[in-house]
Amino acid sequence: LMKNGKKHVLFTASFAIRLALVAYGDYQDRTMVVKYTDIDYHVFTDAARFITEGQSPYNRSTYRYTPLLAWMLTPNIYVSMVFGKMLFIVCDVLSGLLIYRILRLRGLRSETARRVSSLWLLNPLPMGVSSRGNAESILAALVLGTLLCMEARHLMWAAILYGLSVHMKIYPITYALPIALMLRTQETRSDGGRWRWRSFVGFIGSFLNQKLFLFASVAGGVFCMLTALFYYMYGWEFLHETYLYHLTRRDIRHNFSPYFYMLYLTADSRWSQWLGLAAFLPQLILLLVASWAFHSDLVFCCFLHTAIFVSFNKVCTSQYFLWYLCLLPLVLPHLRLSLKQGVGLLLLWFAGQGIWLGPAYFLEFEGHNTFLLIWLAGLLFLIINSSILIQIVAHYKPTQAPQRLKVE
Amino acid sequence: MYFELFSVLAFLSRCHCLTEKVEKNENTCGLLKQLLESTSLSVEINKKGLHREVVTTVELSPGELSGVRALLLHRWPRGVFVDPYQLASLRDQSDWQILVDSAIDLEVPAHKASGFVTYVYPTPDGPAPRLIKVTIPIHGRYHEPSFDGKTYTSVDIDAPELLLRTEKCTQLKDLEPHTVVDAPCTPDNSSTCSWVKLQHQQDQGPVSLQFPVGDGSLVTPVCGGTLLVTMICCAALSKYMWKHRII
Repeated sequence: LMKNGKKHVLFTASFAIRLALVAYGDYQDRTMVVKYTDIDYHVFTDAARFITEGQSPYNRSTYRYTPLLAWMLTPNIYVSMVFGKMLFIVCDVLSGLLIYRILRLRGLRSETARRVSSLWLLNPLPMGVSSRGNAESILAALVLGTLLCMEARHLMWAAILYGLSVHMKIYPITYALPIALMLRTQETRSDGGRWRWRSFVGFIGSFLNQKLFLFASVAGGVFCMLTALFYYMYGWEFLHETYLYHLTRRDIRHNFSPYFYMLYLTADSRWSQWLGLAAFLPQLILLLVASWAFHSDLVFCCFLHTAIFVSFNKVCTSQYFLWYLCLLPLVLPHLRLSLKQGVGLLLLWFAGQGIWLGPAYFLEFEGHNTFLLIWLAGLLFLIINSSILIQIVAHYKPTQAPQRLKVE
Repeated sequence: MYFELFSVLAFLSRCHCLTEKVEKNENTCGLLKQLLESTSLSVEINKKGLHREVVTTVELSPGELSGVRALLLHRWPRGVFVDPYQLASLRDQSDWQILVDSAIDLEVPAHKASGFVTYVYPTPDGPAPRLIKVTIPIHGRYHEPSFDGKTYTSVDIDAPELLLRTEKCTQLKDLEPHTVVDAPCTPDNSSTCSWVKLQHQQDQGPVSLQFPVGDGSLVTPVCGGTLLVTMICCAALSKYMWKHRII
């Protein structure tokens, strides 16, 4: 009973702090010149306003999300401007709850699970992001929900949540590979692992089983249904702004990506298509290797997938970090790192960002030509991210046969 | 006889009315002419980097200003842009209103963008104030990388044109050498009026902004270095992931 009490205190406190931040943000917006609320929140609200007037949300320029988000935020216009932020902080706390549940399912004691969940619930970064009006917490909740259902073997629900998360943002599509590898029939190796034509055919055949078929059809069905519905409502613009823009995006303005300067200098040359492809190859190779190496531990595999995807992407902004930070608490309890090593890696990660932010500030706000420094800082950040991921992979102690404890 | 006297008097009075009207017209147009001749306009650029502020100060010469409307017309090059959403949020804090003539793409690089025109109405509802001070926030676009070793590119901002009009003066052609320009009457762009443009003073030439630009001559080492580092990181990470794979 006391364990339950402490858990309730944690969740109540984290919700209360976020509520206070939203209230403070409202005060700052009204009184100071520098606004607390992120520009994205105004983009969402404007798009929701267009919907209430019966028009397309894509009339709002730079609205590059699913119409579902604008639909969910229509109470911003009918009820109060602060509804969206309330929704985001609720999803944020819900993400914390899902982290707790997944940790318990993976065999952790209640106290340890609570301590690790507090790394997300009492973390200023997700608090700040949600209270400023970014919608990342919705996606975090969907991805964590998918993983929880997969761990608990509720395939139907996992497939629905997975289809929904891919609809909202494209990057969870990368999870399809480890999910497929996990759900296929695990064949017994009887021929000593030697490559044979039969074993190749058997490998392909192992993907055709009932569980995988069910998952693929439900997830695919949800995704196709939503896509068809919004295509019918908003046409080509929906497809372009929500998906195609992100896939073909060649934002040449400075960002954390190591490819930024290369893409800027070659933006108009005939090599730009080939270079784009060359930039995609390391991402692809790493995702394939990660899927094959860790598909039996889906949570760890998804964390690696997202971290690799973000670090090796052609465009990388700080918003993307939240995509894998919400999965980090699930991985932490199984890391055989000392506290000193862990804090050291964390500081290294922050240092990498700081080294990039310096020359970027001088370029944007002081007008110095620091392009070379930004490029080098981007490469350094990639090296730091790779080193941190190597340390995580090397010190990961996988769970033995998952204990399915009763979830309170 | 009385009839003839009466008709002559009527004719004379009409003449008198007409001349009075012409005189009044000449008076207000003369007022406008006087304003145009002794008004000063200056431009300065504040802040550094990619986000600047263009401050235009206009001092209308002493005179009767009731009924006179002023309009600042900026012609912007394609190397800069204004953020319509930022301008909309500024509307609450300032008394001037701005009209942009075309949709602005916020992300396209300079060589793919085009110039645009903005109309600033210092006091949309009332007569022009004696001193007009308008601050417009602008942002620099990314430019094409240079191939001749130059690290900065220049973007020239021309001084704005001051347009004046008044309801009472309709014979604008009399105000030579000041030219007549057509522009929207109000910020909502519902109608077009004829305005008189102030002739530029010689000393207010275009202001030059410097924006940093990438070095195109380094394209080979940059591409080579980037691909080398990414491939090494990819190889190292793959090796460790394969070594610690969970069977």
